[in-house]
Amino acid sequence: MSDTIDLLESIGQNAALRHATPEELVEVLVDAQASEVFKAAVATGESALLFKEFGHKPMQLPHTQGPGHEEEEQDEDDDAPRPVNPDHDQPPLPG
Amino acid sequence: MLTPDSLPTNHARRGSLACVGLGMTLGSHLTPLARSHIEQADVVFAGLSDSIVELWLGRMHTDVRSLQPYYAEGKSRMKTYRQWVDLIMAEVRAGKKVCGVFYGHPGIFAWSPHKAIEVARAEGFKAHMEPGISAEDCLYADLGIDPGRFGCQHFEASQLLFYERRIDPTSYLVLWQVGLVGDLSLARFETGSAYRQVLVDVLSEDYPLDHEVIIYRGATLPIDQPRIRHVRLSDLPNTPITTEETVVLPPAMALKQNLAIRARLKALDEETAMA
Repeated sequence: MSDTIDLLESIGQNAALRHATPEELVEVLVDAQASEVFKAAVATGESALLFKEFGHKPMQLPHTQGPGHEEEEQDEDDDAPRPVNPDHDQPPLPG
Repeated sequence: MLTPDSLPTNHARRGSLACVGLGMTLGSHLTPLARSHIEQADVVFAGLSDSIVELWLGRMHTDVRSLQPYYAEGKSRMKTYRQWVDLIMAEVRAGKKVCGVFYGHPGIFAWSPHKAIEVARAEGFKAHMEPGISAEDCLYADLGIDPGRFGCQHFEASQLLFYERRIDPTSYLVLWQVGLVGDLSLARFETGSAYRQVLVDVLSEDYPLDHEVIIYRGATLPIDQPRIRHVRLSDLPNTPITTEETVVLPPAMALKQNLAIRARLKALDEETAMA
């Protein structure tokens, strides 16, 4: 059986595979001896099925602090929510 | 062929920091230079959006340390991000070549990479950022938007609620992190319908309630397609929105010519032609 992470990387790097239909991609995965879970994920369009193979690890996305909080100097031991202080407004700039 | 071993080593080993972006889609967006930073690092810290992408990164280096465990419901994200900077800087100070890897672009909506680089440089260490393909880049491609056509404003959605901002409804408006809009605490990972209603109330000062809104999410895995939904502005509060989704409002009004400035420019043209 082929390694799923390696196959994902190959698909991501291949112009034909990245934009192939699910049916075309499943054919490729059958030839590549991909896992049943991987083939099912592609066939159904449910990539979350891959969690069956790798386990589910919830991931958080927000990497920005929200406007106005950047300059707030909080006590490192104090997690209590604090209101925004508009006088310290230094909002992050999306680039 | 040049290798890292080709570089002279007649100087004391010093810690260094490179913050790189992994791009948005596994396998598709990682630049050769970013991969090189990862492979040549002593320690890699990972702030990524997807656990499978994190596994992929683990194939590139034997010492990848996830930053995800430092998040916690009820804990200020500001504290989490300061911890990230401390973790990164501890290794830089220990003389390690450190690579911070973040999803998308490491400098967009990402406080810690900018801060870590600032701190490292202030302490005399080499530190820099390598750009990556961001969610914004993918958005333009997937939605067919050229920001040069009508202009494009970007806001972290909460800024529109916390501050008095000027929206230009003749341009595109892109709102990031709508799933968290109005969160003053920084300790939640989503707010909800009532908070989005406040956002809609603010937006309704510049847009009709039946204005089309696009809810967009780019592909993280190469077997995924972008997720694109169209709803009316008035339906936004009751439309579930995740943290990773972005809201786009197309222009609501046509561009209006600035006749006074055009006349002034024409006069300048004539003066220049006569000179």
